[in-house]
Amino acid sequence: MHISPELQALRSNDAPQRHTQSELLDLLRGWFGGQIATGVESQFQRFAQGEALTELPALSQLFAPGQSHGSALVDDFTGCMLAFLRAQPLGMVPLRHRVDDFGAALVLCRSGGSALALHVAEGPALMRRPAPLSVTFTPGETHELVLAGAAKTSLVTLDQDLPGRAELGIRQECIAAGDVMSRDGARECQIVQSVSGALVSLKLQRRNQDGALTREFALDDGKFLRQAAGSPRETRLELAAALLGRMGRSDAAPLLAAIAQEEASQSLRWQALRECLGLETSTGFSALCTIAEDAADPLSGPAGALRAQLLETYPVLQGITECRV
Amino acid sequence: MHMNLPKIDLSALPDLDTLTSAFGSIMHTGRVGGSDDTIIEIMVVIYEIIIQSGT
Repeated sequence: MHISPELQALRSNDAPQRHTQSELLDLLRGWFGGQIATGVESQFQRFAQGEALTELPALSQLFAPGQSHGSALVDDFTGCMLAFLRAQPLGMVPLRHRVDDFGAALVLCRSGGSALALHVAEGPALMRRPAPLSVTFTPGETHELVLAGAAKTSLVTLDQDLPGRAELGIRQECIAAGDVMSRDGARECQIVQSVSGALVSLKLQRRNQDGALTREFALDDGKFLRQAAGSPRETRLELAAALLGRMGRSDAAPLLAAIAQEEASQSLRWQALRECLGLETSTGFSALCTIAEDAADPLSGPAGALRAQLLETYPVLQGITECRV
Repeated sequence: MHMNLPKIDLSALPDLDTLTSAFGSIMHTGRVGGSDDTIIEIMVVIYEIIIQSGT
């Protein structure tokens, strides 16, 4: 195995590399604090906490059609980092990144379910990929500035939500450097069809935290294919509920009953209710009855059916319904 | 009031008609990074590089 002399030297003394990384970190902090990026990081934090983009000038300016400041920002950033890396080629820019055959991503800012990131999609690799058969709507918003390259895209819209399927609209578009787009992920999804060369974009994205679902539909007939939790929090809570159930933690039953009755996805609420019923019959059955009796609750149907099933299996539960009245 | 209540068997409790999978589990074959609106989520991975002496 060949190890270059520079790397060989670092094996006995890694101080120069530590020093380089600390310099890079300072450079990055300095850049975010510098004139061109003024306000971007702090306003990104406010965006991540839910503030509207229109209230955040330093950030919204990056995605202002016709007068975007994003290209200058990214030029300055890459210029600054590349100058350092030319002098210190073993330095690693301390930002999250991903590279594969199809492209790359570099995350400039991230917080909670939000990110400001540079994306590169490689045209030749895209050509080798099978054409997508489905579209995924992810609850959240995307603001995109095309920095370089051009692409043919399909903007797929969810025009009407029907039982078991959706009415989809598909509009072919061409995007090129300088274009700015904003999309509501619950109803719009951009699929990049082909790219000449490489497509470089700056994307600002924020995920909804309200229990909305990510849903996938077939592109040809709009058939509903599957759904997944739209935020990690929902899945985390569902796993926690299952774990408490397996651990037999009946002391958690009141908490699970509360989750089952609060604003959250139906899936999380139902799993919490099931685990609660398994842990503590009385607490769980009371919550089940409350949900079943609220006609406005989307879970009232399944809850009513389950209540009837349980009452048939365990007539003694009738006592709980009588106590509640 | 104290009632002698039955222990409910979890496996007897039905799931909802439409199941919801875990966050991040929808990933279709045609997807490539950056080519649709999926929000990027990058996990930090630390590679341990084992350098054997004498190579």
